[in-house]
Amino acid sequence: MTKARKVASRLVGGFQCGLGGFASVLAYLIYASPSIQDMLAITSEEVPLYMFLFLVFGMFSILSGFLLVHE
Amino acid sequence: MEEKSLKRELGLLHATMMGIGGAICAGVFVTLGYAATLAGTALIIAMILCGIINLFTMLSYAELGAALPSAGGEYTFAKASFGGFLSFATGWFEWISNMFYAAFSSVGFAFLISYIIPTVSIPLIAIITVAIFTVINIRGVKETGLTQTALMIILLGLLGVFIFLGIFTSQNAGSLELKAPEGFLGVLRASAFIFVVYLGGEAIAVAQAEIKDPSKTIPRAILLTCFALIIIYTTIAFVVFKIVPAESLAGKASPLAYVAEQFMGPLGVGIITVAGIIAALSSVNTSIMASSRVAYALARDGYFPKGFFALHARFRTPVIATLVGSVLIAAFAATGIVNFVTYATDFGFIIGFVFVNLSLIKLRRDKPNLHRPFKVPLYPLTPILGIITSLLLIFFLEPSTLLIGLELFIFGLIAYYIKMVGHYRICLAMSGMNLGISAFSALFASLIISNLLPISLSQDIALLLFCVTILVSITYLIAGLLNITRKRG
Repeated sequence: MTKARKVASRLVGGFQCGLGGFASVLAYLIYASPSIQDMLAITSEEVPLYMFLFLVFGMFSILSGFLLVHE
Repeated sequence: MEEKSLKRELGLLHATMMGIGGAICAGVFVTLGYAATLAGTALIIAMILCGIINLFTMLSYAELGAALPSAGGEYTFAKASFGGFLSFATGWFEWISNMFYAAFSSVGFAFLISYIIPTVSIPLIAIITVAIFTVINIRGVKETGLTQTALMIILLGLLGVFIFLGIFTSQNAGSLELKAPEGFLGVLRASAFIFVVYLGGEAIAVAQAEIKDPSKTIPRAILLTCFALIIIYTTIAFVVFKIVPAESLAGKASPLAYVAEQFMGPLGVGIITVAGIIAALSSVNTSIMASSRVAYALARDGYFPKGFFALHARFRTPVIATLVGSVLIAAFAATGIVNFVTYATDFGFIIGFVFVNLSLIKLRRDKPNLHRPFKVPLYPLTPILGIITSLLLIFFLEPSTLLIGLELFIFGLIAYYIKMVGHYRICLAMSGMNLGISAFSALFASLIISNLLPISLSQDIALLLFCVTILVSITYLIAGLLNITRKRG
């Protein structure tokens, strides 16, 4: 593996982990904070759906990021 | 730490108390009010109906538990009959459900304490509770069983006082004439709503590797638990409707405390509050034990990391499985997210019911000569009725519960493939998903810039969202390309 590829993998992987973490925190905030729900115009019926989307995206991003970082 | 077998130290009394304690949770103290508005005094019928539905599946637990008495309960049965992903999914749901249930019960306990001491921190109390029961569970299964028996003797004593005084009190403002305001459908809806109070008795099967003389004790403990629950819940409903009219329970936060207050005054409220506290504690104890045994069994078969299969050298309990589970339970309890995901416990337990009945049918066909110390009567009618009634209960669950169940299933699927599929194939799958997200983000960005989204956004927000989606698209494109060009091996 070339050095450039290694650096790119770590950078992109780290960024993906960060994005995944952010999406997971956002999923929690959507559940826990009514003000965030209001700000994003999410109704209480839509909360499980948005949590589902953000959690799946977050988990996938963290996994993908880890795979790249530990390539 | 070293790997040895679990100790068989639970007798009939401990195992039965484990089953009853797993089922009698805070639910019975709060669900009666709404159930009574659906079924009226016919809630007594709904209680018996739920008990019979529960019995169909518990008979399957009894047969399989006596025939396959190793740790893991439903998971072990599904592994012996189906194997592969189906058995993993059963274990996964069982593990997650028990952890959520423990977190929910510890938060419930902390809330009840906060009624008595309003200044306490609810998350802190929940975490301390989990920590105490983690230590007890690590100390040994005998200690866990003794703690459970002690808690249950106090709880059954308090409920006994409520029932005894309620039957013999001169206060008869209620009516015992069976009336269902919404007819038979209302009784069915109430049954689906209150069925949760019967869930949890299967903790006996999860701990079956630690039960003495399993071929006799497991079926007896399961059947005793089933009949005890029917008697306890039905007599509680009987007392409730003798003391107060069904309509008066609507909207009451704690219907049992309200009823107790009517004939015992403030002392009655105190008795029911303490009973709720004990019920919550016994649920925490049982659930921590159950989740650790399922994780231990999953590790035994290579689905979970090997460390989970290690036993404490001195106490011979699955110490790593217990500790990891407890940290997760404490995290669920402390963040408050448990109030949301706890609905998924019902989904997980009911899925477990379906798989236990399916496992029984499959094992009867595939392994007819398996030694079965106990056999389900009226086979195959009983397990088929168990499957049908369990599936009907799923249809009565809230849509959000089903969605959370689906989320858990997806997480389980990801965990299974990460553990069971080769590294290179995972990278290829990740690459495909990365490229898919990249294409979707690019499409989303083009919709934003073309102002074609069905929602109105201010210009600044639209520009910010456009930049973020383009950044995501480029990142995931590079991640996808890096994964797909990875060398095999």
